[in-house]
Amino acid sequence: MEGGIRAWKGLVAHGMPEAGMAYFSPAANAEEIVGLAWALEEGSKFFYQGIYEHFSNDKEAQEMFSWLVSAEKNHEKHLLQTYEALTGTQPDFEKLRAKFSDSLSGTVMEGGIPVKEALAWIEDKEVADSLEMSIAMEVNAYDLYIKMSRAIEDKPAQLIFEKLSEEEQVHLGKLAGLLDKRI
Amino acid sequence: MGVMDYFKSVPSMTADEVRRFLAEKHPDEYNLVDVRQPAEYEGDHIPGANLIPMSELKDRLDEIDPEKPTIAY
Repeated sequence: MEGGIRAWKGLVAHGMPEAGMAYFSPAANAEEIVGLAWALEEGSKFFYQGIYEHFSNDKEAQEMFSWLVSAEKNHEKHLLQTYEALTGTQPDFEKLRAKFSDSLSGTVMEGGIPVKEALAWIEDKEVADSLEMSIAMEVNAYDLYIKMSRAIEDKPAQLIFEKLSEEEQVHLGKLAGLLDKRI
Repeated sequence: MGVMDYFKSVPSMTADEVRRFLAEKHPDEYNLVDVRQPAEYEGDHIPGANLIPMSELKDRLDEIDPEKPTIAY
């Protein structure tokens, strides 16, 4: 690419190649992968819900974050449907959530960021800052899901990551659209 | 690879062309390689890029699928 990364005026991810991937063992089966991805999506949903409540006097921001809460809910539903379609069985999500909540030591959202810390950070920030943080989180999730779809050995789990990375792109497009309006 | 291959020009793409290319293609359809140092990659990298520092490239060529187009930066 001409000019290298300095010429790149697009979104960038941060962290080492293995960042976030430690949560997912490449040898894990589809059920474990779906369970952990589900726990992270749930963390993102709590984060967006928190921002939604924080900017209660900004209708446009509320619409965006309310849409993202629904999108994360759909991701959770989609993860369940994908799992069922691929394996013909239903995973025990409550059991998996309990299992991964322990290993994640609290609520962590996509990109591996603790939800509590992220919400504490936005306390005195503007909508644009929250959008930037959301974009950073979604870019890192997108980066992680692409890499996981390549690294994972289990075919159904690979397909789940591919689908998730495609959907993260849609989230990014929406967030970037509102940020463009606000800066 | 013959000696003449060393004299072949490598086509380059602008950042905008890369952006369009990545938007149109599935991540499975290309190799996106970051050849900088690990600390640079850690600071920022294009989402989905595989880190293979220039100094390790020779030993890690098996990580690049020769059947797919490769974008390096």
